Amino acid sequence: MRWFARRLAFYVFAIWVALTINFLLPRLMPGDPVAGLLQHLSSSQLSANPGIVQEYQTLLGGGNHSIWQDYVTYLHRIAHFDFGISTSNYPTQVSEVVGRTLPYSLFLVGVAFLISFVLGTAIGMVAAWRRGRTVDNVVLPAFLALSAFPAFFTALLGLYVFGLKLHWFPIQHAYDSGIVPGFNWTFLSSAFRHAQLPILVIVGAYAGGWMLNMRTVMVNTIGEDYVLMAQAKGLRDRRVMTRYAARNAILPPLNGFAPLFASAIGGLVFIEFIFSYPGAGYTLQQAVLGNDYPLAQAILVVLSVCVIAANLIMDVLNLILDPRLRST
Amino acid sequence: MSQLDPTFDLPLAAPPTRVRGRVRVPGWVVLLLQNRKSRTGLVMVGFMVLIALIAPLISVAHPNDFNLLAARQAPSWQHLFGTTDQGSDIFSQVVLGARRSLLLGAAVAVLATGLAATLGVTAAYSGGVVDDVVNFVINVFLTIPAIPLLVVASSYLKNRSMWTMAVVLALVLWAFEARILRGQALQLKSRDFILAAKATGESTRRVVFAELMPNMISRIAAGFVLVFYIALLTDAGLEFLGLGDMTKTSWGVTLYWAQVNSTVLQGEWWPFFFPGAALAFTVLGLVLLLAGIDEVSNPRLRNERMPRRGLFRQLFGGRLATRAETSA
Repeated sequence: MRWFARRLAFYVFAIWVALTINFLLPRLMPGDPVAGLLQHLSSSQLSANPGIVQEYQTLLGGGNHSIWQDYVTYLHRIAHFDFGISTSNYPTQVSEVVGRTLPYSLFLVGVAFLISFVLGTAIGMVAAWRRGRTVDNVVLPAFLALSAFPAFFTALLGLYVFGLKLHWFPIQHAYDSGIVPGFNWTFLSSAFRHAQLPILVIVGAYAGGWMLNMRTVMVNTIGEDYVLMAQAKGLRDRRVMTRYAARNAILPPLNGFAPLFASAIGGLVFIEFIFSYPGAGYTLQQAVLGNDYPLAQAILVVLSVCVIAANLIMDVLNLILDPRLRST
Repeated sequence: MSQLDPTFDLPLAAPPTRVRGRVRVPGWVVLLLQNRKSRTGLVMVGFMVLIALIAPLISVAHPNDFNLLAARQAPSWQHLFGTTDQGSDIFSQVVLGARRSLLLGAAVAVLATGLAATLGVTAAYSGGVVDDVVNFVINVFLTIPAIPLLVVASSYLKNRSMWTMAVVLALVLWAFEARILRGQALQLKSRDFILAAKATGESTRRVVFAELMPNMISRIAAGFVLVFYIALLTDAGLEFLGLGDMTKTSWGVTLYWAQVNSTVLQGEWWPFFFPGAALAFTVLGLVLLLAGIDEVSNPRLRNERMPRRGLFRQLFGGRLATRAETSA
């Protein structure tokens, strides 16, 4: 449990560092972000929100408060997830914009990672079990080559070939225009259709690493005595592969999940931009190009928290699956 | 050579290459050329570097000149890679863009390697509080998602010149390399020759730079290549999102205009395909080079039975260093 407590302390600290970087960045960089931000609001919008300049100044600097005073106010506001008004979505609050876009991103990455996990484990398993055969020599290397591609290039190619030329998938946005998002069949089926191609691209970009890890670990477990023992008992080949060799090889590749997730969050920015998919990544890009700094700050915080949450979930899972960790 | 002979061949030592009257090729070059992966990688990267060097000779003078009469042309003998929707020649943009992209990647790799090697190795050797702090900083950097952080950071930058971007990228990406180098140094620090150097009273600086680092040169080289390709991808990605110096010519900028003008959606594949393919080609070359360095410097990887036939199998079979948990 001490191990877990240490991890937990690290995550709290990491979140604090992320928040502090977020606080310091606009203050350290030359220029006046608040001025750039206010250009996007008309004078009537400004006069309708008397405190807005001060509000932005605590987030981005440039006011006449001391930096410590700003910092305390900033942390206090972030704890309540109050990033003020998003200039590019005036008069919507930043928190509302983030709350609207984040589920799309999490859905994409979540489903894509589930598929990558199943696919990676299965193909890695077969590749290790039948070394030098087709799966090992063609399927796995093909995925590896694909994962070495820039994700946005894969996405553009997929969009062009599968969306535009073959018409297999819709190519833009998260749902058909004219549909109001809500918890009903029309919306969900449309959203599902639109998510297919982006998910496919993420799987293509990230499944390779998973397969390789699985294969590497599995090659080692195959050499273990209990696998030989199972074979000597005369168990069927498939049963030895799945129940004996693979079962003990699944855990180590899981540790690669969190870094892969962090990387996929980055790739998501590009993939959502290409598909005009209204998730957090696309919103971040739009916010940054439109100088909507509060929105960009909020998304950076939320994405960092997501990555840290993924790390934490993986640690808990490890704790449940691996008894050795519980004793230390 | 008898068993008692004190001068034994290191496994890394290259076969002698004495050719009378010629410059002697360094051993590591021979080793890299003997390995099929690194040879292919070197040829691919070398080709791109050559293109970048002779770019002014094979491109038109001003790749951003617009000529609306020649806009949106598919590849032809006139315009090998077609034209943009402004009528600029994409071939010229790609070959001239290679200069900026490669130079920036190399600059980031040099900066990040310097930072990572100095901090990582010093921390590992010193141990104690220094190591804890550095390790902690590395872990925090690996936890905060790099791409969103870079997107937000570069949005505050008014001046996005090549050197500014190189410094920003290096400051974010060094942690990936530092973790690898620190791990390697931790393994080396209890070896006899380090203990001997320490016992004779060598200063920390000398042990780190004169004893540890020369013995980690293959890892440092691998880290350099790793950061090189991550930087290439990340920089092109940032430009693709519109966060670079958009007045210059580079692969990412060409991709950005292709995306912004929705050329893909209008069925034009060439504005995104050629810069994307150039990037993918270079990255693939670097990935193969990295895998080759790994194999050459780690005999255990070489021992794994490799399939004999098929270029594809030889290049991508076995262990291929994939995108190390980051990048576009």
